[in-house]
Amino acid sequence: MKGSTFIDRLATWEGFLFLVLVLLILLNALSTPFFLTVSNQINLFQLSIEKVIVALIMTLVIINGEIDLSVASIMGLAATTFGWVFQAGISAEWAIVIALTIGIICGAFNAFWIAWAGIPSLVVTLAMLIAYRGFARVLVEDRGITDFPEWFDSLGQAPILGPFPLSMLIFFTLLVVLFVVLQRSAFGRKLYFIGSNRDVAEYSGVNVRRIKATIFIASGLISALAGILFAARVGSVRGDIGVGFELDIITIVLLGGVSIFGGTGTITGTVLAILIVLNLRNGMALANITGHLQTGALGILLILSVMVPTIRDAGQRLWRTVRGETG
Amino acid sequence: MTAPVLEMREISKAFGNTRALDAFSISLEPGTIHALVGENGAGKSTLIKVMMGIHQPDAGSIVVDGREVTFRTTQEAQAAALAAIYQEPMVFPDLDVAENIFINHHARPAFVRWRALYDEASAVIKRLGVSVDPRRPAGSLTLAEQQTVEIARAISLDARVLIMDEPSASLSDHEVRRLFGIARALRAAGVAVLYISHRLEEVFEIADTVTVMRDGKHVSTRPIADITEERVVAEMVGRDMQGRFKRMPSAQTGDVLLRVEGLSRAGAFHDVSFTVRKGEILCFSGLVGAGRTDVALALFGIAPPDHGRIEIAGQPVTISSPAVAQRHGIAYVSEDRRKLGIAMAETVTANITLPMLDSYCGPLGLVDKRAESADADTFRERLDIRAADLNMPVGTLSGGNQQKVMLAKWLNTKPRLLLVDEPTRGIDIGAKAEVHRIIRDLAAQGVAIVIISSDLPEVLSLADRVIVMREGRFVGEFQGESATDESVMHLAVGAAGRGAA
Repeated sequence: MKGSTFIDRLATWEGFLFLVLVLLILLNALSTPFFLTVSNQINLFQLSIEKVIVALIMTLVIINGEIDLSVASIMGLAATTFGWVFQAGISAEWAIVIALTIGIICGAFNAFWIAWAGIPSLVVTLAMLIAYRGFARVLVEDRGITDFPEWFDSLGQAPILGPFPLSMLIFFTLLVVLFVVLQRSAFGRKLYFIGSNRDVAEYSGVNVRRIKATIFIASGLISALAGILFAARVGSVRGDIGVGFELDIITIVLLGGVSIFGGTGTITGTVLAILIVLNLRNGMALANITGHLQTGALGILLILSVMVPTIRDAGQRLWRTVRGETG
Repeated sequence: MTAPVLEMREISKAFGNTRALDAFSISLEPGTIHALVGENGAGKSTLIKVMMGIHQPDAGSIVVDGREVTFRTTQEAQAAALAAIYQEPMVFPDLDVAENIFINHHARPAFVRWRALYDEASAVIKRLGVSVDPRRPAGSLTLAEQQTVEIARAISLDARVLIMDEPSASLSDHEVRRLFGIARALRAAGVAVLYISHRLEEVFEIADTVTVMRDGKHVSTRPIADITEERVVAEMVGRDMQGRFKRMPSAQTGDVLLRVEGLSRAGAFHDVSFTVRKGEILCFSGLVGAGRTDVALALFGIAPPDHGRIEIAGQPVTISSPAVAQRHGIAYVSEDRRKLGIAMAETVTANITLPMLDSYCGPLGLVDKRAESADADTFRERLDIRAADLNMPVGTLSGGNQQKVMLAKWLNTKPRLLLVDEPTRGIDIGAKAEVHRIIRDLAAQGVAIVIISSDLPEVLSLADRVIVMREGRFVGEFQGESATDESVMHLAVGAAGRGAA
């Protein structure tokens, strides 16, 4: 048994992401003195906070061998529900509770079709991506709802603990909780087994349906929370809140090394991917590279993330062949 | 005797340490039906795969029409006029019959002439002496009709050698009749048919010649008239290893732990009744597909029965899921390690503790990793699992060690009743002996054990009692000593002759 050396550790996907991240931060820091300031980094996070929060729970969904395409539409539906009931005269506090409940209901509805009816999550959540978005647009048309209480608008911006606003604290809390769930809890262990080999889990007495249902309900709830945070940050609600976010979110998770086939991946990988994506976008923005080009660069990074294991295996084969011939 | 169309000469093929084919020879003559028989694992499937270019032989030669050939792909075998049909027909369900028949015809014009296609298809089907509408989608046909389509496909390619691998396994009596009709029509047309079946009565009805193979070796080839069913069975099982798996004296057995009465599940098994005592090793013998695994899956809550009663320690129980089975102290070690047994990408420890994971958790649901490593370590010593690091993925271990991990996983649930399906499939002799030792130790500790095994020497060396299943039914039972290779095999293949009480 050989010990894991520094090189071995770098050979993992997380190690590679870490290198890329360090490189990005160095480049960015060299190009502009403002980059490494606390306020710039927090600002970076703030601009994408809803996506990165949902990326955390999406990590669990994909490790479980499923996918949830409806997250962004649930964000939209929760935000518009919030705006609509608020406009109807209910207090903002209760409106938040109702919006979160809507998220749970959406998640439970997905869970029913996936866990009990056995329909592939790709199909169910694709349908719900359309349906939930439809409801959102019916509730609040393109006018938008504004004039929320001041405390609500400040939720998204005002620092409440040191320099951190509420949304970032939620992110850190969720990060720690999900890290512990995946690394230490029985639930997390079962999650990996189901993603890795569902039949083995079932034959071992694991309640596969219940775990899948829990994950989709959690995904609905957290998406709803993200939707409300989005409304608070921009100070208004429209039917098109979060359109297309699901693709960015899934991109981050896959870039973080979570296998689309389930069973492998870590929260650490997702967090590294989040930092890379944010820093890449920020760096490119500072270097005056347009948004479309930034998106293109991300796409290439994603393809790389899928190809790295293949390239590494090919490299190892080549290495063995070379050694075999000379030795 | 006419010149053979296909000869396999001294073919050898090994997978790792297993010699699947050992200098095996067979030759097929046009216009004959040649039966190939042998136990499960005798190497029949490997032989077909070598014939069809799926595997390449390590040694030996394939001769077609007197010329030596090599098949690197199935296409090359087909080009040499070889075709094979299998137990499960391979048709494209959404294409119609005619399209399925002509799917492999490459040299066709760019545009399909549908009328000609259907006419040709009808003609080919008619040659087989059956009627199937060439316009029906293949998915709407019965299994037997799909098989006919497969045969028609082979004929349309002018196959001169047709390999039929267990073609009757999922057919009704009436459909088997029709299949025989087709086989005879092919013989009359000069095709060499290689007919592989477990059912000896069929072999004796249809075949002209029979070849027996055992452990990858050729045992005998004789005209059917020169051999009896008794003799074939003896040659199938005849081993020179009588002393190697000596029966152990049966342990003291205790009270009845499991009582099953009139258990049935449509399409799988029918009216099954038996009991198992504490400390007893009961073996289910029979051929693959006889319904043995289905009975185990019913007891484990995977595929609950339609009818019947299950009692554990005198209490009637309903077992609706593996979790419920576990609560009753039932564990099932699957025959399919890769797909159902252990998750290869997960660690050895995680695999061992999975069924009992919740018992390693505190109130917060966090796993006590120290306790779980300690238990995994105990099993490493007790079962002699050779793994440098229990935190390595289980897929990095050898097959025998994976098998022990799978056993450890279920022993960790402290079962009262252990169902073990093919306990030693695909592992080497040394690991096999160790698995047998583990099973005997468990029985000595009072665990009731049901073993499903197609490995007759294994059954005979482990069992206190043997139940033989055929086609979903119990067809016989033997008390320890009274079971012999031949008596069990007779019942399993349904050969006429001695049956035992």
